[in-house]
Amino acid sequence: MSGKTWNLFWGSSFVRAPLQNGVGRYVQQLQRITFKFCKTHGGSSGMRDYIEKDLIEFARDNPGVVVYLKPRRHRSPCLKAEYLNGGEEYISTHMQSCEDVRKWVEYMRTRSGYPVERLRKYQHTDHPSIQGPWNPWIHRDPLVNIADFPQEELSAAHEYEKCATEEVLELFKKQKLPVSGGINEHHD
Amino acid sequence: MSAAKRVQQWATFGRMWYLYDAKWQNPFHSAEKIKKYLSGRSKPIYHPLSDCGDHVVVINSQDIALPGIEWEKRVYFHHTGYAKGASWTLAWELHQIDPTMILRKAVYNTLDKNLLRRGQMARLHIFPNEKVPDKILENISAQMRQVRQVPKRLDHYPEEEVVNFPKIFDWPKEHVIQ
Repeated sequence: MSGKTWNLFWGSSFVRAPLQNGVGRYVQQLQRITFKFCKTHGGSSGMRDYIEKDLIEFARDNPGVVVYLKPRRHRSPCLKAEYLNGGEEYISTHMQSCEDVRKWVEYMRTRSGYPVERLRKYQHTDHPSIQGPWNPWIHRDPLVNIADFPQEELSAAHEYEKCATEEVLELFKKQKLPVSGGINEHHD
Repeated sequence: MSAAKRVQQWATFGRMWYLYDAKWQNPFHSAEKIKKYLSGRSKPIYHPLSDCGDHVVVINSQDIALPGIEWEKRVYFHHTGYAKGASWTLAWELHQIDPTMILRKAVYNTLDKNLLRRGQMARLHIFPNEKVPDKILENISAQMRQVRQVPKRLDHYPEEEVVNFPKIFDWPKEHVIQ
């Protein structure tokens, strides 16, 4: 079965913050929020409840956000948010409860103005390398700069295991027997 | 890309030319090592699409050492595509015809079987002896270590070392070696 994949036409982007927001001070990106609703129609009842109960508290908590109310007859309720970098968000709140509207408002408050796109990478850094990016000439014996190839020292394989000859020599040295008149003579 | 970043890019993605001495080496083990450098897997910036493979110049390919009895038993099959075009060539025969072929086939067969293989083989330069064209010699920037230690001949050891080696056993004087 096909898994849920993000459609290629829906766009993709890298992780970014407008003007490196959050690196120093965090600035709320929401500029203005517009509540459009109908004063009588039942679909706007949730939004009307929200405006009665929580809107003033929201406006007080976010002094940098301009709140607009647009009562329009025979229109379904919606939220429109505009952000500092020019991005916009539109959410319809038709037939939604006061709780839902509260959650959507909170969602819009915390968004940056960038559109919702698939993230190509989940990390971003302006300083990918501290000690400097790799190049093929670091960690290399400086001998290669002046060497005339082929060079024996650079070509010889690293010794990992002792060969039998070396082991026998070592054992012999441990025993410390005299060289001549001992083992190396034929026994008649 | 700014001028400074451009130079950094050239440095990071610079192509290296490695030299490998195949004297006394097993071509199949050598091929595994050469494959890493041809594909670019020896680099931390490796990616299959970023064309980061290096050049490898192999010398002394006529002096490779196949294990065991492979010189007599290893068979290279070739079919021309035409009728009665099958041929079976033993390793020693192939080596006589073209001393670079065994190593070339070994590397070709160990490389990943994808479209990048032909390009990586084009970056492999094999020479039967130490005679390398000057243009290629100029490019060489580093040398790869051999896979196997080159065995030392008995007559290349200093004489006193040979004489003083602790003999564990020797034939008695009357013994006639047949």
